[in-house]
Amino acid sequence: MNNRIRELRARHNLTQEELALKVNVRRETIVFLEKNKYNPSLKLAFSIARVFGLPIEEVFQMDDDE
Amino acid sequence: MCNISNFVLDINNNVMKKSGLVFLVAILVVASTILWIAKSGVLSGVDVLQIGVIAVLVILALVFGYRRLTSERRGEPVEDELSKKVMMKASAWAYFISLYMWVFMIWLKDRVTFDTEQLLGTGILAMAVIWALCWLVVYWRGIRDE
Repeated sequence: MNNRIRELRARHNLTQEELALKVNVRRETIVFLEKNKYNPSLKLAFSIARVFGLPIEEVFQMDDDE
Repeated sequence: MCNISNFVLDINNNVMKKSGLVFLVAILVVASTILWIAKSGVLSGVDVLQIGVIAVLVILALVFGYRRLTSERRGEPVEDELSKKVMMKASAWAYFISLYMWVFMIWLKDRVTFDTEQLLGTGILAMAVIWALCWLVVYWRGIRDE
């Protein structure tokens, strides 16, 4: 699974720490998400999409081979 | 001095309850080790090895506690879904590896002269080391596609 968190975060002028506080996770979880080392729960994915004001599928995409 | 008194005040604060617990356990382990060294007098090679392992584990616990403390100070949750998953996966791996470690210890017991206390002490320390290694591996690999 891929995501556009880094790009969207830059567009909304948010730091990793600020995004972490908005979705109530640790900063390192945002780091892991941006490095694609962690697939979030559905709840966290929806929370992140809501922060960016986008539908979930515009933030998270499945790889073709998945 | 001021920093120390602030730290003590913070430990009393509810915000630091969980991190404070990690530091408290580390202090208890260090105190117990000092008592053990003072009581036993001359230390054998195995004792020195065990003390070295305890020192490494205490340092790891302090690093762990410090990370939690800084998270709390930033207003982040101490634990979230990623840290819980890493902990669960590391614990599951450590459990299975520890089972094989104890089988090995039982096999070793008949071949090496170990007294029961040394055998149990080494086994318990080995379990702690296995857990720490599993946590590091799971943390660096990350959790994907699960």
